[in-house]
Amino acid sequence: MTAAPYNYSYIFKYIIIGDMGVGKSCLLHQFTEKKFMADCPHTIGVEFGTRIMEVNGQKVKLQIWDTAGQERFRAVTRSYYRGAAGALMVYDITRRSTYNHLSSWLTDARNLTNPNTVIILIGNKADLEAQRDVTYEEAKQFAEENGLLFLEASAKTGENVEEAFLEAAKRIYQNIQDGSLDLNAAESGVQHKPSVPQGGRLNSDTQPAKEGCSC
Amino acid sequence: MKRFPKGMPASQRAVLQEQLTDIMLEVLRRNPQLHYYQGYHDVAVSLLLLVGERTAIAMLHTLSNHHLRDFMDPTMDRTKHILNYLMPILEQVDRELHDFLIRSEVGTIFALSWLITWYGHVLSEFRHTLRLYDFFLASHPLMPIYLAATIVLHREKEVRRTECDMAMVHLLLSRIPQDLPYELLIGQAQALFDRYPPPLLAKRAALQSRTSLSISTFQSFQRSTLHQRPDSVLRRITREGGCSASRRGPGEWAVASTEAPALGRGNRMVKMAVWGLSATLGAAVFAVAQTAMQWGPDVLLQLF
Repeated sequence: MTAAPYNYSYIFKYIIIGDMGVGKSCLLHQFTEKKFMADCPHTIGVEFGTRIMEVNGQKVKLQIWDTAGQERFRAVTRSYYRGAAGALMVYDITRRSTYNHLSSWLTDARNLTNPNTVIILIGNKADLEAQRDVTYEEAKQFAEENGLLFLEASAKTGENVEEAFLEAAKRIYQNIQDGSLDLNAAESGVQHKPSVPQGGRLNSDTQPAKEGCSC
Repeated sequence: MKRFPKGMPASQRAVLQEQLTDIMLEVLRRNPQLHYYQGYHDVAVSLLLLVGERTAIAMLHTLSNHHLRDFMDPTMDRTKHILNYLMPILEQVDRELHDFLIRSEVGTIFALSWLITWYGHVLSEFRHTLRLYDFFLASHPLMPIYLAATIVLHREKEVRRTECDMAMVHLLLSRIPQDLPYELLIGQAQALFDRYPPPLLAKRAALQSRTSLSISTFQSFQRSTLHQRPDSVLRRITREGGCSASRRGPGEWAVASTEAPALGRGNRMVKMAVWGLSATLGAAVFAVAQTAMQWGPDVLLQLF
């Protein structure tokens, strides 16, 4: 991996959090590889994936830390929250317990990131409508009360997966534009990178980075 | 589950899945002080695929109370403690590489799954997993960390070419190349262990080995294995099960029992290595014989 010049203008750091088995790694895999991983192994500690996507005309590299959901791993995954620009907080719409635990995940996210960190709530497994255990409306209300973005998505069908990462990125970019996110501040979760001199060698849109999630 | 051999019929996968759950529950039921961790079933499935349900329970029970004991606490404190041995080993061997890793703030979490699953979670070829399991069965509980150090050292050039950034270094190190020279690395890990034994590292790095249950119970574990003939477990099982001699794999045990006394005097580690290897080899013969009848040749080809 060579250093500059970069073919992207910004790096945004993301974390994905939520209970065990809600589909965090599958969302990441769907996002970086555009494939559903049926036999997804559990995550031990943290996994990492990247993808470059276009946000309001700017190339942005997302660096995504996918954390293990089992309670015992929180002791090690907490250190990865620091300096996240975006957080995907995931629950499973077919398992109410994963929704009930959101406040604990939100507390961690609020305490361990900075006030500008954009948090998006994701109700995963939206394809399993028949087994739904959490209504869209109540999750939407929870998100509004807590100032979170909200989407229901399916890592299996790919529905809203792209959008989830993009919506958070747009909000982060907006925060940069209106000055509420100070890029010079430590732990903003955003790095500005000098772009390649204009020569038309930019890659096509949303090309997955080679080092995407292999799990 | 992903660790089952590719191409195995769904019905057999279902049986194995059930056996896997059963052996873990059985060991946890017998040992209420132990706690399940994500990664435990990577160990359990490796044993199950190799030696079958009954022996897997016995092996998992013993390992859970010794080599894996620290990982089975309610918290990760002791696991993190074990990971803390990694950087001091690197510091002894290659200070520049060590300093590079410290500067990158990569930490040691990239090696967490290696440690607590004995690499079963990250290796795609079962034969490599088995080779490492043999090595670790016959070694000190910290040996997976010494192997982690040799893997990082082996990839020194790649690491140094990477941007000195936490994400980039983590990404590089957490993806284990599938074509590592395992025999070479095993030898190097053993050499590192002999040269920089845990008490030395503990002293230099202000690590407290007394807090590790895996380490503190290792001596009694070793003593108990001294009184065990290399093949006594397998002999007992064979007697009880009434297995035919053709399944046994002639020669395998004879080699172990004649070599062990010759090598064993004054060298406990070698003796244990022979014990571990012969036990697993014998078990592998069982597994091959059993699976050959059940699965057919193409599945076997993928397995071994």
